[in-house]
Amino acid sequence: MMTTISAFLASKGIYLLTLILLSLGVAGIIVCNNYMKKLICMNIMQVAVIFFFLCFGQKDGGTIPVAVDGLVKAADYINPLPHGLMLTAIVVSLGTTGVGLSLLFRIMEKYGTIEEDDLIKREKKF
Amino acid sequence: MLIVVITVPFIAFDVLPVIGDPESAPNTHVSDYYIEHAIDECNSPNMVTAVIVDYRAFDTMFETTVMFLAGIAVVLILANRPRKRIPSAGSYKRSMTVAGRAIYNTVNKDVMISAIEPVILVYAIYVLFHGEVSLGGGFQAGALIGMTYLLDTMAVRREKPLFRLNKFQSGAIAGLGPFIYAVTGIVSIIGGGLYLEYNKLPLDIHQAELHSIGITAVEVGVTIGVAGTIITILNALIERISFDDDND
Amino acid sequence: MMQNLPVLIIVTPLCSALLCLLLTLINKHFGRAVVVIATAASLVMSVIQLKSVIEDGVIHYAIGNYAPPFGIELVIDSLNALIIVVIALIGFMTVLFAENFGDKRPVVKGGANAILALLITGLLGMTSTGDMFNLYVFLEITSLSAYCLIALGGSKGVVSAYRYMLVGTVAATFYLLGIGILYSATGTLNMGDLATILNEGGFDEVMLVSMSFLIVAFGIKMALFPFHGWQPSAYTHAEPGTRPLITGVMGKIPALAMFRFFFCIYGTDFIYVRYLLVLLGIFSVLGMLYGSIMAMAQNDIRKMLAYSSVAQIGYISLGFAIGTPVALAGSFLHMMGHAFMKGGLFFCTGAIRYKFGTTDLNEFGRIYKKMPITSGLLVIASLSMIGIPPTAGFFSKWYLALGAAGRHEWIYIAVLVISSLLNAVYFFRLIEKVFIQSSKGLKDRWSKGELELPLTIILPVVVCFLAILGIGVFNVKLFDILMLTLEGVGL
Repeated sequence: MMTTISAFLASKGIYLLTLILLSLGVAGIIVCNNYMKKLICMNIMQVAVIFFFLCFGQKDGGTIPVAVDGLVKAADYINPLPHGLMLTAIVVSLGTTGVGLSLLFRIMEKYGTIEEDDLIKREKKF
Repeated sequence: MLIVVITVPFIAFDVLPVIGDPESAPNTHVSDYYIEHAIDECNSPNMVTAVIVDYRAFDTMFETTVMFLAGIAVVLILANRPRKRIPSAGSYKRSMTVAGRAIYNTVNKDVMISAIEPVILVYAIYVLFHGEVSLGGGFQAGALIGMTYLLDTMAVRREKPLFRLNKFQSGAIAGLGPFIYAVTGIVSIIGGGLYLEYNKLPLDIHQAELHSIGITAVEVGVTIGVAGTIITILNALIERISFDDDND
Repeated sequence: MMQNLPVLIIVTPLCSALLCLLLTLINKHFGRAVVVIATAASLVMSVIQLKSVIEDGVIHYAIGNYAPPFGIELVIDSLNALIIVVIALIGFMTVLFAENFGDKRPVVKGGANAILALLITGLLGMTSTGDMFNLYVFLEITSLSAYCLIALGGSKGVVSAYRYMLVGTVAATFYLLGIGILYSATGTLNMGDLATILNEGGFDEVMLVSMSFLIVAFGIKMALFPFHGWQPSAYTHAEPGTRPLITGVMGKIPALAMFRFFFCIYGTDFIYVRYLLVLLGIFSVLGMLYGSIMAMAQNDIRKMLAYSSVAQIGYISLGFAIGTPVALAGSFLHMMGHAFMKGGLFFCTGAIRYKFGTTDLNEFGRIYKKMPITSGLLVIASLSMIGIPPTAGFFSKWYLALGAAGRHEWIYIAVLVISSLLNAVYFFRLIEKVFIQSSKGLKDRWSKGELELPLTIILPVVVCFLAILGIGVFNVKLFDILMLTLEGVGL
């Protein structure tokens, strides 16, 4: 039993961690009442996916994907593709966070609150 | 529905590849091609650079566009006229130079910032042009340049600063970066190739050098775009902030 | 030059968007002029591309001349090409239309034009790309520009945009997870290559897991019934000038991507896709009823149209749920027809708001006397929504019903009829307000010139009018073009 669990953790344990991180993010978006906290949870969720993708880049016995003299085989370098893809995902999440923060600025100025239940009450008055 | 939600993660663990397995699907199919051909085809020892600005250059073009888009989106969302008068960055500075002199006008902050700025800028240029060979590239260089501007904004100077951009000017500059990127692709179409085919840039030099020139042009575009965006967001936000130590 | 059309269609609006702000700083007319010219050029090129696709078959365009699984590929078949023409046309008209609304400061206007052009770029890219990750990038460009355009619609718009942003990011993240699982099992990101590998067999669990993420992602993005929560307020409070594009086109393109994944990549031979189609059918049936009933309860015309969009997306996914080529063609006809109907109705509300400054249905009494052309479009679009021949709406519903009858899905036909009747209730109410109700003495805000409205508003209204009738009259021709791609796809 213990060996099965440890074998599982050794081979796929990181997926479990990213799954927990992802669930935390999604649950936070649903549960939290404060819009700022929702934004933070959104970021946690995006980071979880970035970790998830980076897992595919790992290769036993590989070095970083910058060519070194003498190493030419594909098995000698880790997979460069997930790193390239996640660079894009990071930039996108940065852009989303920036837009989200500026939206929060406007909400705070107009309604004076970023708590969801207060906001719904005040929204009806305008 | 609930059953699906519960069972899907368990199946997911089953189908995911073992981490670090050299024979797993993501480590073999396309990845091998990139590792083995990056040096021949793109003349770039850094395979991540080869992937993002050569094989998948189209993605990166729109990624830079996302930066520009986020920058002007922040500017436009915060462009409404606030009812309450919020002190602008300029007035903050003026008040600081008068009121805060006793506290803030120490030697070390000004001097430190003036001394460190050129170093950061030189480092940014190094990261930009060296990104093709080793680790680094346009995004990092752009972030460094943006940070230099941020540092410079923090310094309280007695004389007028040499140049300041307002948020729209920096937004326009941020747009120029991806435009350079897009034009690089269009130039290769004029040279008779497909979009972003660096081999067909209309210059009379060797293929490897053409790839270097193409990658460098693209990286310069990314740098300008990222730096411009960071300055834009900074400018847009700084106008709205009411500081804790404001006089009024 | 001809072979580069697929990429030039995307890059031309992109370049104009990037330069727009700079040129606006130089002269306040330059920026807008560049965007208008670029979108017009994109429209012309897309028509040429459609012609060449019909004559010569599918175009595969490898960017950077790297063979498909290694580089990014654009794939244009007859289905894509038609949708691209629709996007470019509505995009061009929206750019013209948006001039009359929004902030008056030239620099802000320049920025808004840039974002509008980026929205068009993102939609065009999502339609034409053949690479999963590239689709994600375009999806994010579309969503970010949409958040911004919705937020520009005022204080309520900001709150709607924030909520849409949270939900939309969940969708994008789920999409990324879905393609991550597909990538982990196959090692490729190219859609064509992926379809080949998946059809070799042995990937059933992979497809099930990725499918369950993708249906949530696309469901949220296209505002399918249980995931539609963000949609009504976002459509209602978006910036008035850009509303036709957001409401008319933005919800349809994720539906197209959904079609690509479930029918072209997974294929209907895969057993779980059959289950998915049943689920999709339930969602669309509920959505059609819920959207129509909620729309009946609204007094604000914008909100009424937004809820009606929930129902109309139901028609599109109903076609997917039926899954035969005829029903799929009906779906795509409805996609194009509804883009013009909903876009056209929002052009009308924008025009009425421009002239009278109101969007309340109860104040619309006898505006047909003052705005004959706009009222004409209002009527023809409403009739098309209900599904009265010879408008576009009738023929798309006809093909949907034909497909459902082919598979003996009588429930779907019954729901189609009920939903159409519900549509009739609230759209006839609209027509009644426009023609019969006594005038409320609205004051003109704009009464210069000989036309009832500025040329930039009249032109989109007229084009939508012609397009709705045109899709209806030439439906057989369009059906044939769609069938070039859809033949052999589906059940």
